[in-house]
Amino acid sequence: MLTIEEQERYDRQIMMRGFGEEGQEKLKRAKVIIAGSGGLGSPASIYLVAAGVGTIRIIDHDRVELSNLNRQVLHWDNDIGRNKVDSAAEKLSQLNRGVKIEAMEETINEANIARLVAGFDLIVDAMDNLPTRFLLNKTAVENHIPFIHGAVYGLEGRAMTIIPGKTACLRCVYRGLIPEEKFPVIGVTPAVIGCIQATEVIKYIVGIGRLLTNRLLVYDGLNMKFTELAVKRDPNCEHCGHLIGEE
Amino acid sequence: MSIKINIASYLQPYTNNLEVVEVNASTVGECLNHLVKQFPAIKEMLFDKNGKLFSYVGIYINGEDAHPEELAKPVKDRDELYILYIIGGG
Repeated sequence: MLTIEEQERYDRQIMMRGFGEEGQEKLKRAKVIIAGSGGLGSPASIYLVAAGVGTIRIIDHDRVELSNLNRQVLHWDNDIGRNKVDSAAEKLSQLNRGVKIEAMEETINEANIARLVAGFDLIVDAMDNLPTRFLLNKTAVENHIPFIHGAVYGLEGRAMTIIPGKTACLRCVYRGLIPEEKFPVIGVTPAVIGCIQATEVIKYIVGIGRLLTNRLLVYDGLNMKFTELAVKRDPNCEHCGHLIGEE
Repeated sequence: MSIKINIASYLQPYTNNLEVVEVNASTVGECLNHLVKQFPAIKEMLFDKNGKLFSYVGIYINGEDAHPEELAKPVKDRDELYILYIIGGG
């Protein structure tokens, strides 16, 4: 049940077709992980908290640096040197006191990932490196947790939604890794992609619309163009190939 | 047969910043060979030292994933290729 205050707070989205109070209650019950509190994690968490997702767990091990501030809009000048998760949780709690924010200052790795994602409904991929993205993808597939991928480079961004056992996963798209590198980016690019990720989370939880599954969305900010690439499940995929035929 | 190759932004520095390169070819492999002939620096971004396409490079024909055996896939006049290069920033 929504409180009177919640009914007023979320009035405009409750009005949306297919949403209603039932949709808002689904959001209230949902538990979402935002893996990374940087360029993608900032807009994704801001809009999910504003929308009233009941529990948000933010995982990041970094501290705020001056060079983060062109894009990581949850962190401000006075936060330099602070843990990102504390900096993020403080602002998000002020945005919406009705949302439970869990700040986990941890480095995601093979040893802790199962514990970190246990009991959660969705994982938002807001990482800044490829190995951890693949670890998250593999864990999401193994635990049948929907995984919302996003990545950026300069004015280009990508997004895709993965429903384990049903749709292509990140490893079906990229079958190998490149060495880690410092990447160029300006804040508006992760803002676009992070909002697309948040949109997918909301659609999945409420059960509306058509998800960005089996489709990789490529955003080209330089030419202001969106391209959709059809992705198919790879029967030899290292992460999800074994699930083909099981579902 | 004229084929348009769309280049992901990550790779555009290797094509003189061109987003689209047109080639005449009848397979994906021939398309990429023509691309490399025009822009030799892109070769090491796409192929390993044995001439095999890197596993993190995706080839899409008219928006459809050409994996596996991408290089042998036929293309026809006015087809569009998209070369997808992995990105991981966030």
